[in-house]
Amino acid sequence: METILLVDDDPAVREIFTLFLENGGFRVLAAKGGAECIELLKSSHPDLILLDLMMEPMDGWETLLAIRRSPATEPVPVLIITGKQPEPEEIVQYGSMIEDFIVKPVDFSTIVMSLHATIEKSHDLTREVFRKVREQGDPEAAYEYLRLLRLVRITRHLMKRFRNRQWADKKVFRAQEERLMELHRKLGFPDRFLQNTSGNDHGVSRSPVVNHRNC
Amino acid sequence: MPPVSIFIVEDELIEAEDIRHTLLEQGYAIAGIARSGETALTALKGILPDLILMDIHLSGTMDGIDTAEQIRALWRIPVIFLTAHADDTTLARAKVTEPYGYILKPFDDREVHSVIEMALYKHRMEEQLKENERIIRVLANAIPDAVMLVDHNRQIIALNDAMAQRIGRDNNWLQSETSLLYDANGDFTSMQSQMDKTLQSRRRVRFEENNGNEWAEISLTPVGEPFDDHVRVLIQYHDITDYKRFEEQLTKEGVSRLEQNMEQFQILNDQIRNPLQAIMGYVNLDCAKYRSHILNQIGIIDSLVDRLDHGWIESEKVRKFLLLHYRNAPEAPGEKTDGEKRVRE
Repeated sequence: METILLVDDDPAVREIFTLFLENGGFRVLAAKGGAECIELLKSSHPDLILLDLMMEPMDGWETLLAIRRSPATEPVPVLIITGKQPEPEEIVQYGSMIEDFIVKPVDFSTIVMSLHATIEKSHDLTREVFRKVREQGDPEAAYEYLRLLRLVRITRHLMKRFRNRQWADKKVFRAQEERLMELHRKLGFPDRFLQNTSGNDHGVSRSPVVNHRNC
Repeated sequence: MPPVSIFIVEDELIEAEDIRHTLLEQGYAIAGIARSGETALTALKGILPDLILMDIHLSGTMDGIDTAEQIRALWRIPVIFLTAHADDTTLARAKVTEPYGYILKPFDDREVHSVIEMALYKHRMEEQLKENERIIRVLANAIPDAVMLVDHNRQIIALNDAMAQRIGRDNNWLQSETSLLYDANGDFTSMQSQMDKTLQSRRRVRFEENNGNEWAEISLTPVGEPFDDHVRVLIQYHDITDYKRFEEQLTKEGVSRLEQNMEQFQILNDQIRNPLQAIMGYVNLDCAKYRSHILNQIGIIDSLVDRLDHGWIESEKVRKFLLLHYRNAPEAPGEKTDGEKRVRE
């Protein structure tokens, strides 16, 4: 059974999300803040962390940095689930460290259904990266690929959210894309990793209205 | 209009009488007659004549010149000297007392009249001039700004008290100073080029100067005819320290308050979305007949918050600009260069 660590300061969100996750076949650990999350990670090894952004006193980004700083928790995939829309700058800064972001409110049942796939994809990617490191002995390039892949994916997602409004440095983004493709070919990663760089791959629609089909 | 009153100082009785007659004939009033300098000074304390006719050669301890000098020190009454013969030394002495004219004995009636009228006219003009000066001086000192007028060689022509204090000089009105000095604080260092600019362009030049904690707006205004070679320049120091401080405070506080409000606004969005999320979850658990309606409402609220979010993102350029120009805080967005480097490396 896969374990999800849920970090959110809103008790109602924690309660309802836990319910849905448990119904969806996950073991759930819940933390009401960044400090508690870091504390829980000392004794448990979740398969995915669902992280809220707006928390006091340690916010989501600080928590993310703490997670990535520790070698034990570094490879654990993090999915941001937030009421506050991430800003382009935040994506530039943290985009390479997260799987994706989801802006509340969302249909939990849809999210829960997509989480297995998210975990599988993330593990698939990290496994492949580790394999390339072992085989080719170029850890720098492999990690760069991992970071760029995430960053490009998140950037695309954000662009889609902003309905392609001019918000980011297009030149920088294009250079990142080119570098990603270069590494992809050079290191010989399977093409399936590029398939989901076209945006939100959680099957989550922004409009909750269409998501009540199970009514 | 009352007749012009004249006071006579003459030690010779006949001469005095002769003059008195002549003056009365010409329509003047006699304010009094004194036979010595001492009695003249005592008598003048009680009366204020329009003019004094003074014999230079008075018997007694004071002659006419001594007496005229005393009078000049005490009152502003024009004095005309009466003299039969004048040697150069006496005339030189008399000149110092700035007499309004000389009448030579034996006198001619018409000459007496014209000399008196000239003296009265000259005196009126001088009084008028002094009055004008007083008015200008009162006006000049009434403004808190330091003001001075300099000629094209940067010599001070006039300055008010505030300017005198600023450049550390006695304010001796209308007394030309040797040159425009640059004070120890370097207050005038930027002045030279601005001065040249003003003289060349014949246009008003304005600039701000910062001296320690003080801010001044300095304006140089050319004064004179457009084609006059000797244009003067009016230099004015306007203290804008308070204004600068206020402006600084306003922009600083204004920007940080704006930023604070925006942060609050972000938190607000989070606080709207969290309950929406909870409501949506609970509604999805229970398949009641109102579910679709509730979810619709959630959808509408969500799209509103979404639009606010887009506004927030789009306001970023403005916020960045404001923060960059009005506050140098390390937490200001756009200065997270460390993070950017980490990702791009």
